[in-house]
Amino acid sequence: MPNASSTLPLATKRKGLLPAWLSSPRQAVVAIVVVVLLLLLWPSISPNPYMTSAGVLILSYATFATAWSFMGSFTGYISLGHIAFYGLGAYGTALIVMHTPVPSFGAVLLAAVGTAVIAIPVGFAALRLRGASFVIVTIALILVLQLIFQGWSTVTGGSDGLTVPRPFPDMLRPQHHETFYYIFLALLAVLLLGWNFINHSRFGSALKGIREDEDKASSLGSPIGSLKLVAFVLSAFGVGIVGGLYALWFGDLDPLYQFDVVLSVQIVLMALLGGLRFLFGPLLGALLVGAGQEYFLLSFGQSQFHLVATGLLLALVVLFLPDGALTGIQQLINRFRPQSTSIRELSAEELRAQRAGTAGGKD
Amino acid sequence: MALVFQSVILGLLQGGLYALLAAGLTLYFGIMRVVMIAHAGFIVLGAYIAWRFTTITGLDPMLSLVITVPAFFLIGYAMQRFLIARLKPSTLTMMSVLLTFAIAMIIEGLIGLLYSGTQRRIALPYGTDSLNLFGASVPVVQIISFALAAVSLFVLYLVMKKTRFGRALRATIQNPEAAQLVGIDTNRTAGLGFGISLATAAVGGAALSLQATIWPSLHWHWIGPLLAIIVVGGLGSIPGAAIAAVALGLTQVLLEIPMGPTWAQTIFYAALFLTLMVRPHGFFGGRLAQRF
Repeated sequence: MPNASSTLPLATKRKGLLPAWLSSPRQAVVAIVVVVLLLLLWPSISPNPYMTSAGVLILSYATFATAWSFMGSFTGYISLGHIAFYGLGAYGTALIVMHTPVPSFGAVLLAAVGTAVIAIPVGFAALRLRGASFVIVTIALILVLQLIFQGWSTVTGGSDGLTVPRPFPDMLRPQHHETFYYIFLALLAVLLLGWNFINHSRFGSALKGIREDEDKASSLGSPIGSLKLVAFVLSAFGVGIVGGLYALWFGDLDPLYQFDVVLSVQIVLMALLGGLRFLFGPLLGALLVGAGQEYFLLSFGQSQFHLVATGLLLALVVLFLPDGALTGIQQLINRFRPQSTSIRELSAEELRAQRAGTAGGKD
Repeated sequence: MALVFQSVILGLLQGGLYALLAAGLTLYFGIMRVVMIAHAGFIVLGAYIAWRFTTITGLDPMLSLVITVPAFFLIGYAMQRFLIARLKPSTLTMMSVLLTFAIAMIIEGLIGLLYSGTQRRIALPYGTDSLNLFGASVPVVQIISFALAAVSLFVLYLVMKKTRFGRALRATIQNPEAAQLVGIDTNRTAGLGFGISLATAAVGGAALSLQATIWPSLHWHWIGPLLAIIVVGGLGSIPGAAIAAVALGLTQVLLEIPMGPTWAQTIFYAALFLTLMVRPHGFFGGRLAQRF
């Protein structure tokens, strides 16, 4: 199937953990250690609670983008509708906490399972068709859920919103942010490990077969339908957990934000910008886009400028960096390396002369 | 009973407008395999230009079409030639969705920056008038927007059926390689087709500005139903889109009586999911616009 990430010979050979220019083990270890240290220390070095809460938000984006990439990276199906599962996880968690004695984090898990169950028929309908119809279904899913959650106000609170009881009622605000920062970080670690595990498994290889050429994979006897569905549901489950944690952290839900098409596309932008091929791609993209968004929010307030900025960034990524920033950097480096100019500088005649010359030299 | 009859009339009028807008949307898909998310964004942009035109000049918003239709045609042509055509063919569908999505966001953001998020409405001298149509009272603005849609669809039909360009466009839709073999410049044709599709958004925008309150993020309310219509009608088929538009528009307005507007809107999505479950190629029209 033609999809978001085909024909990229240099990356298919790699394990996909890190791009080639970080391929020497020492560089890779240094890069990972620096990132992990920075992430771990952020609550202690952040100047104020606001920055800590921004960190929580960006981490929630990173977990979201990573969970999204369970589907997007491996199968190449660009789902614009994953925010639907985020919203379902959030509302599910809120409703369970409010109406049952289930503890908060149990509610998150329960809601995520419920989300995954809902994702099964949705995925079944959406994945029967490729390309356009898939995208249309995923967008439609958000829009219809937004309508339902706005209309069904006796249960969801409608546009008045829904207030979620906090899991740690006696914590102060900064402490609350810090706790959730580490919860999201732990979830991110779990998701990254899961991603890496799938990447090296037979299941992952089968999914990548779908990404590279769905028809060939199918004709080789790969059960593409169920493979895609499993990836879709797994990814929905992960996003459901992220949504549930977000509900517990933020404590206030509104259909317009829980099912926001624009946020959904921003998540896709994060994953694309970082690069779908690499484990840390979505995380990198989330850091870049999330930080940029916070910056625009601080400097331009509630104006619509962030929409224009996100739109421009998305257009630039699609037009010039469709394989992500990491791959882009790699291509840039390759261009300046010897023997890999993009323009063929030797004519066939020169090449023949050269070969004849070396052959002559050997004799 | 009178209420139902009135709703049927209103639904048909509404469906006519949907038909025009969905025809544009399905044409992009037919020509380029592009799901043009920004179509609704351009509709809202057209509506804003009509509103601004009226507040500045005091003239009827319909006159703004003299500016917007050619302008949108040129924008569409440029979009296809300079943006969409740059994308790799193997990833065209997915990437074009993201690209047009980005354009929709830029349009929404720019409208918001220029005119704020405040809801706008044109004060028309005939804004509240209604006509008595077989015992049903129908707002004049609805009749005007239906007429606008009908004329535009008819022109679109004539262009597609009667002109050399229309034949070239249909050939490009049906089989681009074969079209190239018989000497059609498919790139140019696709660009012009894209321009025509976008010009329909200008007409839709003017029609919308007559009868509705507009705000920057309004396009999200439109893109869902329009996407649903083109899937139900069969992606790429213009008559399919027209039939599905009228059928779904009518159902929506009829359902508003017992269910209220929010729930009535879900009919589009129900139809969309049902179509994909039962008949993935859509109910009307052939496989990918075999006919016009």
